[in-house]
Amino acid sequence: MSGALEGIRVIDSTTMVAMPTALHIMADMGAEVIKVDSHTLFRGEGGVFPENDPGERHWDRDGSFNTLQRGKVGVTLNLKEDDAVNAFKDIVRVSDVIIENNRSGTMDRLGLGYDALRAVKPDLIYLSNTGFGYTGPWRSYAGIGRMFELTCGLSQFAGYEGEGPRRVGISFFDQHVGWMAVFAVLAALHHRDTTGEGQWVDFAMYQIGVSTLGDAVMDYISNGRSGSSMGNRHKYLSPHGVYQCKGDDRWIAITTENDDQWEALVDQMGSPGWAQEEKFADPILRWHNQDELDQLIGDWTKDKDQADLAYQLQKTGVPAMAVMDGRDFALDPHIKEREFFERVTHQPETDIGTRLYFGRPWKMSKTPAYIRRPAPMLGEHNEYVFGDLLGIDQGEIAKMYETNVIGKDPINPGSAKPTNLTRQIEQGVGSTIDPDYRQKLGI
Amino acid sequence: MTKTGLGQFKILDISTGISGPFAARMFGDYGSEVIKIESPQLGDPARRLGPFHHDDPHPEKSLTYFYLNSNKKGITLNLETAEGRQIFKDLIKSSDGLIESFGPGYLDSLGLSYGEIEQINPKIVVTKISPFGENGPYRDFQGNDLLYQAMSGIMYSSGAYHREPLKHGHPQTLWMAGIIAAYAASAGLFTAQRSGQGQYIDLSTAESAAAHHYTSPVRYIYNGFIERRAPKNESGSTKGVKFEGIVPAKDGYMGPTFQWGRQRGNYKDYVTLLDRPEIDDPRFASEADRQQHLEELDTILMPILEEMPKFEYFNKAMGDGWVAAIVQTSEDLVNCPQLDERAYFTEVEHPVIGSTKIPGEVFRLPKAPWSVRGAAPTHGQHNHEVYGELGYSSDEVVTLRKQGTI
Repeated sequence: MSGALEGIRVIDSTTMVAMPTALHIMADMGAEVIKVDSHTLFRGEGGVFPENDPGERHWDRDGSFNTLQRGKVGVTLNLKEDDAVNAFKDIVRVSDVIIENNRSGTMDRLGLGYDALRAVKPDLIYLSNTGFGYTGPWRSYAGIGRMFELTCGLSQFAGYEGEGPRRVGISFFDQHVGWMAVFAVLAALHHRDTTGEGQWVDFAMYQIGVSTLGDAVMDYISNGRSGSSMGNRHKYLSPHGVYQCKGDDRWIAITTENDDQWEALVDQMGSPGWAQEEKFADPILRWHNQDELDQLIGDWTKDKDQADLAYQLQKTGVPAMAVMDGRDFALDPHIKEREFFERVTHQPETDIGTRLYFGRPWKMSKTPAYIRRPAPMLGEHNEYVFGDLLGIDQGEIAKMYETNVIGKDPINPGSAKPTNLTRQIEQGVGSTIDPDYRQKLGI
Repeated sequence: MTKTGLGQFKILDISTGISGPFAARMFGDYGSEVIKIESPQLGDPARRLGPFHHDDPHPEKSLTYFYLNSNKKGITLNLETAEGRQIFKDLIKSSDGLIESFGPGYLDSLGLSYGEIEQINPKIVVTKISPFGENGPYRDFQGNDLLYQAMSGIMYSSGAYHREPLKHGHPQTLWMAGIIAAYAASAGLFTAQRSGQGQYIDLSTAESAAAHHYTSPVRYIYNGFIERRAPKNESGSTKGVKFEGIVPAKDGYMGPTFQWGRQRGNYKDYVTLLDRPEIDDPRFASEADRQQHLEELDTILMPILEEMPKFEYFNKAMGDGWVAAIVQTSEDLVNCPQLDERAYFTEVEHPVIGSTKIPGEVFRLPKAPWSVRGAAPTHGQHNHEVYGELGYSSDEVVTLRKQGTI
């Protein structure tokens, strides 16, 4: 099967989460994505290890890394060496796109800035991802995904009602930014296909985050209003929240958006007397009396199974959903039938076996995307890229290994320990450990 | 109109709400001709979604609609009439992309399934945005931002340990699906340009949110660990210390960290940053040391930070290489010197609201640049222009309107 980006070669000179996300999507779509890693800068750190065991090659065994790097071809280059910089340029010569997320100026210092690479590949598309962009008073400031939900203005809305702002989710804008990078690269590819021109894309995380808050920003421009946190509540809908169910820390999200849905909910609750009272008679009254309403709905849900109740409510037209944890979602029957997770079998050397990885939230009917290979082991494709693709002869490649221009084992692997999962559960980071996860997942 | 890059495409946007219109707007922003098709009766429900200009709930004053539908031409069309469907087919003939978000099976029931659309224009890329996707047991379920945040795991891992799971206050899952729809549609157009073959894209909004919150399933799949809400040490810090969550500043809130570039910084250097040599303390020297004395660290640092104006801290810390964040309000964003210098806000003339500023350039693409060419259309604003191009005379357009076709 051929993918939408078949025949496009992309260089991945990125770290962290946002840009690796963009690049694994392109790889899923059939682009050949060459991840340029380094075996000399490598630092061993914590990770999410299979069976919580770092194993012999811990640098190849981290679940987050393997999620974000899946589908890519991996090489190493020690860019402190001139030979490595030249080899990098040779890869550029046969590529269409490069994405990098170094601090502004770093690539220029390495001799790999846009002007230097355009000289070897005139129609190159070169995307530089930074926190704040290449111009403006904040241009030199560091950008890390998890800080942007604050700085982009999203956190002004997050938190329990009546409290200050609070973090929500993981590094919130990393994925938005990664997805937008795919759009940006495609826009540049459309331009190249129609004009023959490449270009340099100044790609700032900050601006992308703010662009997903356009309505809030315009509220200030028109009305002088900034945001505040309202917990799980809605500006004019009620009920709109989560309610405790049977079991430890089990919850269901329920909302009604019109009178029909409200009546269906009342019907499901067995038409209790309180639901007929004047104070809940219309959406505005329900909104004004939502403290009491939430209490009453919570009394009804508290002895019910979250998944069964959500299913039952949805079947009668009431918007409801279990508040799922990672296990609930990975094992959810709908998600299974959608084949949202894909099975990937890893290289035997990694001793990871088979794992499930999330696919994409879309399906293309004619150019299906799928995870084409597991994340590369460090330097796994050095021979393919430097030998087969660039035509460097074997003797020369052997010399590159000897001089540490390339390598397959980290020079400084650090030491990785299993995560203290029991302590994490004491701290509240986790709720439990399921010993039967492999059996349940079929891996 | 340039015919290069995204400027070569004509996109029909018959979607409503936030996700589809945001995707279509991205195409319009980077040069495509986007035609927004609305029902003749009430139009896109986003017209009734706040906030409103001067808080006036008028269908032409929704700021949500305004932001999401700038750079589009607006027409009305009633697909429930035979003539309306014929006009829709004519529009499909001359278009490259269609973005829709009707309920499952709605277009099929009108004889406008992808199979039928493909017969009319095999090169068109149809992007269908639905709550849970086009198959599976939840296909016909109701969806909204609260439910997507619940299903994806965003909520279960957010909030305080002893309280209920917490969602983000702004409906970000809908914006996420919009970005995803934009890149998926663009990939479809890329391959259509090369092969002449269009296709159908089935996009699930719930899965968009799950693709965002991928980390909790990874932990389960790798070692059976089930992630829960923030540590007992409140404020949502991942480091077990309030200091690295969101903390009060003198005039708002901020997110200080010990992150220095891509590594963890030294306490001595941080003390220098704060210019408070008296609080230097070997107990906090390294990250490992700090982990042993979390509460003491909070006790010392929080009162100092509470006295600092947030921008003063932000500029000082970031200028010195530390990673810091501030909780910016909408007011801060509108007055931001960084956005100002990058000409982020653009003046635009709206037919009802008048002249106003709107947020702008998402990324800088110098050879096929972002531009704003028009405010969001009023309901049916471009009927004469667009139907004129299809060959209808001015009188015929008036008749179509009287018949309720447009």
